[in-house]
Amino acid sequence: MGVTVLQQFPTENRTGPSTIELLSKRISALGALQQGQFLVDCETFTSCAALGHQRTVHVLHNSEQPATVFSILETGQKTIPLATDGLFDLLMMKMSGFYSSKKQTKAESKGPRYEIGDFCVKLGTVTVSQNFRGVLVEVEYRPCVVPAMCWELMREFLQGFLGSSVPATPPPYLQNRMQELYTPIDTIHQYLEQFTIFRKAPGLRP
Amino acid sequence: MERDIEQLNSALNSIKTLRSNVRRVFESVSNGLRADHGEDGKENKFIHELQELLTTVNNNLRDVESAVGNLTPPPGPFNLGSTAFLGQETTQERQALYGQLVNSYKWTDKVREYSALAGNILQTNSFNKTYKTFSTTKRRKTQTSNHNVSPEVIENLITNIDRLFPDVTITASRPFLPNPVIQACLGRVLKAIIAFKGLMIEWVVVKALSESNDLWAESRYKVFKKVTENCHAAMCHFHSPMMPELAVKSFMHWFHSYNTLFSAPCKRCGNHLLGNLPPTWRDLRTLEPYHEECK
Repeated sequence: MGVTVLQQFPTENRTGPSTIELLSKRISALGALQQGQFLVDCETFTSCAALGHQRTVHVLHNSEQPATVFSILETGQKTIPLATDGLFDLLMMKMSGFYSSKKQTKAESKGPRYEIGDFCVKLGTVTVSQNFRGVLVEVEYRPCVVPAMCWELMREFLQGFLGSSVPATPPPYLQNRMQELYTPIDTIHQYLEQFTIFRKAPGLRP
Repeated sequence: MERDIEQLNSALNSIKTLRSNVRRVFESVSNGLRADHGEDGKENKFIHELQELLTTVNNNLRDVESAVGNLTPPPGPFNLGSTAFLGQETTQERQALYGQLVNSYKWTDKVREYSALAGNILQTNSFNKTYKTFSTTKRRKTQTSNHNVSPEVIENLITNIDRLFPDVTITASRPFLPNPVIQACLGRVLKAIIAFKGLMIEWVVVKALSESNDLWAESRYKVFKKVTENCHAAMCHFHSPMMPELAVKSFMHWFHSYNTLFSAPCKRCGNHLLGNLPPTWRDLRTLEPYHEECK
């Protein structure tokens, strides 16, 4: 598990599939080989009024860690991340009386997964309740575990195939954790951050 | 000796000329009369030709005789040493042994010659893994100080290195006493598993921090495979049997420069990545980062 950077790629009047195809061509031209598909999904539950102060639970799955369910509880003051077994999904179903899911906010990002050298690149089409919202590019540099050490290197790699759309600073979530050891839950936080932006944004044409 | 061989050569040469001229006489006799003798007095011409050839043969024979007369006869029978007994062998399948003996003698002679040449060439190359000296007392001394040191000395060396670099954490295990295998974790970048043989570094494998401590499995990441290769090169470069402690220290000093493996750009091209790898080479003296292709 290495450092992962997640960023949006502007579609600029292109459709979702054509954007993915453009990026696929670029990364293949660099020598990347496709290694299957990936999927990250996110479902959000809110507590019912009877529990008092409203809390939100985001439940996420990542195909990179297929046996784990990640959940992030937002109480208003605190954010509590939790990594659990697959059974957590069933637990949430049992608790449907207390936590109800907002069906229209189910977000997911899926698409091809590429490997190039020690990098792993994922080109995701983002949909929020089945509507196309944009393109997310995830790049993982697997040998390194501290974001501060390899951010410059990863930025160079991102610029190599995304061009000028690469920001000069790391994703906001990572900025406070540049010196810490990177763990899979950090990737989940970045996805949640992006999904929240997509949910708020007005719908794009598919 | 030199003169003998020259004379022998000239005698052999004159025998060769004699043989070829005698062959010409017989050729001419067997051919008999030929068309180029013409019609008039062809018998006379033929006889004349034959006489000329015989005169040459006579001259050649005289040459041979004088050449042989010049030769000095060997002082006595050749002394073949113990190999002479091989000639007395009566069993059929062993009678060819003498020929084989001569052949192998020629081979060993060649081997000696080539190894002397190779030795001269290799002497200029400083990457010697073994220390070679022609003084036996000296050799015995260096060997005991290298391979067969007491565990305390190695222990001291390792603790010294541990103290030298604060961001290198070293844990040692001793699967084969007294030779330790140490895991040197370089910050949060990488770890190296180093096997010692006495005071000398025997083997190095570089891996990610999350990978196993197995000495024989290489890393699954391309960048650490490359760094492992470079560590092997540096291990040989710093190797010095006369000052093994210094060799280990300079190796560790060089190895320590990998703490910027992911963060330092290449000194030559200024980029971080080349062929999707960070600069995996560190200059042996200046410790500056370079890509494999840029160094």
